[in-house]
Amino acid sequence: MVSLVRAELRKLLGLRTAWVGMVAGLVAAPALVFVNAPATRRALADGTWGDPSDLGFQSLGIGLLGAMILGVVAVSSEYTSTGEDSPDGRQLITTLTAAPRRHRLLAAKGAALTLVVAVQGTLTAVATLGLVEMVHGAAIPSPAPARVAGAVLYWVLLGLLAYAITLIFRNGVVTLTVLIVNSSMVSVSYLLTKVTPLAAYLPDIVGAHMFLRDVGDVRIAPVTAGLVMTAWVAALLGLAAWLFQRRDA
Amino acid sequence: MITIDGVTKIRGRTRILHEVSFTARPGRVTGFLGPNGAGKTSTLRVLLGLDRPQAGTALIDGRRYADHDRPLTVAGALLDGSGAHRSRSARAHLRWVAASNGLPRARVEEVLDLVGLSADAGKRAGRFSLGMGRRLGLATALLGDPPVLILDEPVNGLDPAGIRWMRTFLRDSAATGRTVLLSSHLMGELAETADDVVIIDRGRVVAAGTLAEVVGEHATLEDAFLDRTASEGVSW
Repeated sequence: MVSLVRAELRKLLGLRTAWVGMVAGLVAAPALVFVNAPATRRALADGTWGDPSDLGFQSLGIGLLGAMILGVVAVSSEYTSTGEDSPDGRQLITTLTAAPRRHRLLAAKGAALTLVVAVQGTLTAVATLGLVEMVHGAAIPSPAPARVAGAVLYWVLLGLLAYAITLIFRNGVVTLTVLIVNSSMVSVSYLLTKVTPLAAYLPDIVGAHMFLRDVGDVRIAPVTAGLVMTAWVAALLGLAAWLFQRRDA
Repeated sequence: MITIDGVTKIRGRTRILHEVSFTARPGRVTGFLGPNGAGKTSTLRVLLGLDRPQAGTALIDGRRYADHDRPLTVAGALLDGSGAHRSRSARAHLRWVAASNGLPRARVEEVLDLVGLSADAGKRAGRFSLGMGRRLGLATALLGDPPVLILDEPVNGLDPAGIRWMRTFLRDSAATGRTVLLSSHLMGELAETADDVVIIDRGRVVAAGTLAEVVGEHATLEDAFLDRTASEGVSW
């Protein structure tokens, strides 16, 4: 099992797209702090900014792209064709001949992904929160360690969510479209909360309650939010594993 | 030793394999011959646990491929393409495969040298020619120095020198006691390489035995093959 995790780490970190995701996430979140600084300062001064303790954590949002991209490419890279002259050639064939026990393979891949995303999430959180403190200083309270941990956990769960969805569809485009459109452009999940408060429990937005106070109109306790999101991710991973085991490669 | 027993595979509504049975023995090259679409690749995929059969068993040394610990040390496989992600170098590809089965890193350089890819090991697999991709695939199959080799159309895309190299390599492998199973639709090639021949047509094994037995009273393997597979008449 250890050798499988090592192989999966090597595979993931050997992909250019994985690095693009990690670096983009790591750079984008702190950069947004700078870009938004003047507007944020005004909002804090006239009291229109909500809970000031959310500020640093709100800025983390864009960095989550990194976690999603990692979750997607860990799987989509297995399914891309190795070349025009070999239509059935995919890395997955090599992967499954090297590790034919599929549940173990998925566990090893998930472990490697979790490690990388946790490191990327921690680095982004530390950099972004540090920067927010530098820029806005006394206007906001210091971030509580429990909330930082909640944010990193959200990161990891979102990476695993992207991993599960990509395994189910065997295609990264579907996952990226669903997750990125939903998280950055038009949040279907958020719009649904206007229809029914239950939509606040959808996997992508419920997790935000782990580290943010003001999310939509519904208040969910951080631990409840963490448990609900974990349950979603576990269920989707279970479905993905069941399909992966049954399908022909 | 490869033992395939009563393998039936249905995909959608099509029965691709009908109770396919044959064996491939150590120290011999077994040629798996059939027209395109006859079920050669499907049989090899079932043997490697990539596809699940509806019935039958496909065993390597008495166990299913997936039931072996460190399977790369039991059997090496070469299927379509290089098996490497386009953006990875040949060396990076072989290194993760070696890591997955706990094989020493030095083995990567050995197999690169063996297939003649040492000079191109830093190049991305996506830039490889078809022939170089096949060599990389073969290098991957040889990483665990396995006693069983399973190769799907191994000479596809190789130049004449590469074909000769492959033929010699497979003969030498069998001579050192390896079990070599290779599929091909090229009869001339197989007649030069194989000790035993299994002919498959439309998902059924129609002949199996030593090369001499299968050729029988026909002048060539090609005649024997066409006689057994052209039952529906030749349309060209």
